[in-house]
Amino acid sequence: MKPLPKVNIDDKVFTLKYYVDEEFVHLKIKDPRVCKECLEKPCLSFCPVGVYRLDRQGNITVGYQACVECGSCRVACPFLNIEWHYPRGGYGVAYKFG
Amino acid sequence: MGKELEYQVVVVGGGPGGLAAAMTCARAGLSTLLLERGRFAGAKNLFGGVVYTESILSLVPDLFSEKRLPFERPVTEEGWWLLSEKGVVKLTHTEAERMEGPPRAYTAFRARFDPWLAQKAKEAGVLLVPKTKVIDLLKEEGQVKGVVVDRPRDWEDQEPAVVRAPVVILSEGVNRLLAQKAGLIDRDFKPQEVALSVKEVVQLPKGEVEKRLGLKENQGLAVELLGEATLGLPGSGFLYTNTTTVSLGVGLFLSDFAQKGIKPYELLENLKRHPVLARILEGGETLEYGAHLIPEWGLEGLPKLSAPGVMVVGDAAGLVNPLFREGTNLAIYSGIMAGKAAVAAHEKGHFGSSSLALYEETLKSSYIYRDLQYFRKLKRYLQENRAWFDTYPQLFNQVLGLYLSAQGRAKEEVFREISKLIRQRRGMVNLLKDALKAFKLFKGW
Repeated sequence: MKPLPKVNIDDKVFTLKYYVDEEFVHLKIKDPRVCKECLEKPCLSFCPVGVYRLDRQGNITVGYQACVECGSCRVACPFLNIEWHYPRGGYGVAYKFG
Repeated sequence: MGKELEYQVVVVGGGPGGLAAAMTCARAGLSTLLLERGRFAGAKNLFGGVVYTESILSLVPDLFSEKRLPFERPVTEEGWWLLSEKGVVKLTHTEAERMEGPPRAYTAFRARFDPWLAQKAKEAGVLLVPKTKVIDLLKEEGQVKGVVVDRPRDWEDQEPAVVRAPVVILSEGVNRLLAQKAGLIDRDFKPQEVALSVKEVVQLPKGEVEKRLGLKENQGLAVELLGEATLGLPGSGFLYTNTTTVSLGVGLFLSDFAQKGIKPYELLENLKRHPVLARILEGGETLEYGAHLIPEWGLEGLPKLSAPGVMVVGDAAGLVNPLFREGTNLAIYSGIMAGKAAVAAHEKGHFGSSSLALYEETLKSSYIYRDLQYFRKLKRYLQENRAWFDTYPQLFNQVLGLYLSAQGRAKEEVFREISKLIRQRRGMVNLLKDALKAFKLFKGW
């Protein structure tokens, strides 16, 4: 497969409007040890807004604030290691166009 | 919310399916509550961008007397663009008649269309409560009897509020979590059963949508992009024209993103940089980026459509036809059918399995179900016949490129070159096999 152009996903996320719920983290990693042992870490690729990133220690971080609630990580995590909820009513992404 | 709320019907989700269901119930005089988790109906919704007039007319018959239609442009030209790495073969259709009379399709934005439809629902008597998430179903004696929401009962009692209703209609969208809780389906969907699509709405300089796409003010283009758009993987891109913007997007099976490590936004960026599209988008500004899953589980993943006290409509049931770009309309039709079944159940005063099964019967005798059956092999076909996404778009470009630049050469040589190309890229036997398989698919065999 040919290499794709690099994109700073933050520039895309910047176009979106969110009402971030500071009191309820709606995406969580169930067991971080599972992620450590996951070789492919596909969440780093398939998440359309880059919620899942790798920190310097090699841990996956979850930037739930950018989530567009599509549900991909809920089913495509190879170990189903995401505790997935919708944000509370009224919170999360609010499309202007959609 | 008070202590013991009770309605005749509760609808979960304010997309087109839920709004259609709620409107149908309210118009028949049922007290109808529609719960929407977003800040307004449509806040969480995103689609490629085409709606079909007929389905909307079935809900809002006086649509054309609206002062401002909730759409962008009528679709007057549509079809496919087959992309190679640098080129394109355009296969689109338009005719004079499509320019006149009421358009049969429009481009639209969900965060504008859905609120408009929600307003119609309110006028019909639906009580629409936004910012409220349904977290569970109330089940008694094996029957759904209401919903549990993420709002407290009242100031004193912080327990989640319960809303009772003998009929609950689930239009919760592709992540059909409540349908699973209702027991309508016993498993979650798999990554190979859904497409993940991303889209950008790009603002073009004034007058440029028309100029760059050869349109007039009241004309619109809607094309699916095949080939290089998906790097030859099963899936498609799309380019739809809005009033002053274009919607450009691309989708693949979620499993392909995951297995191949493709970043959706990089795939979209690759498409934006295709020479043909780059020219269209030049000087444009991205107003919004977004992503959504498309249910493509089809017949094999179809949940039970009803159980005592509960029905499921729209995306939550997987009522989508990716080949014919149907989804919003099927949500509306299924919503109306479920609404009618709710009304009939209330007339009988019976909400057990046999009453709401009317919805299942209606849907199963409609073209929606016939199509699900007809295209039951579509997903597997697309996943197994990748040549349609990879080899053929490229080959079409190459063959036409050769044919159209044949001047000043012996044509026999040109045709020899063309047939050599076809033999190398696909081979005559495979070509015939592909044609036969496509024929079978479209015969519904």
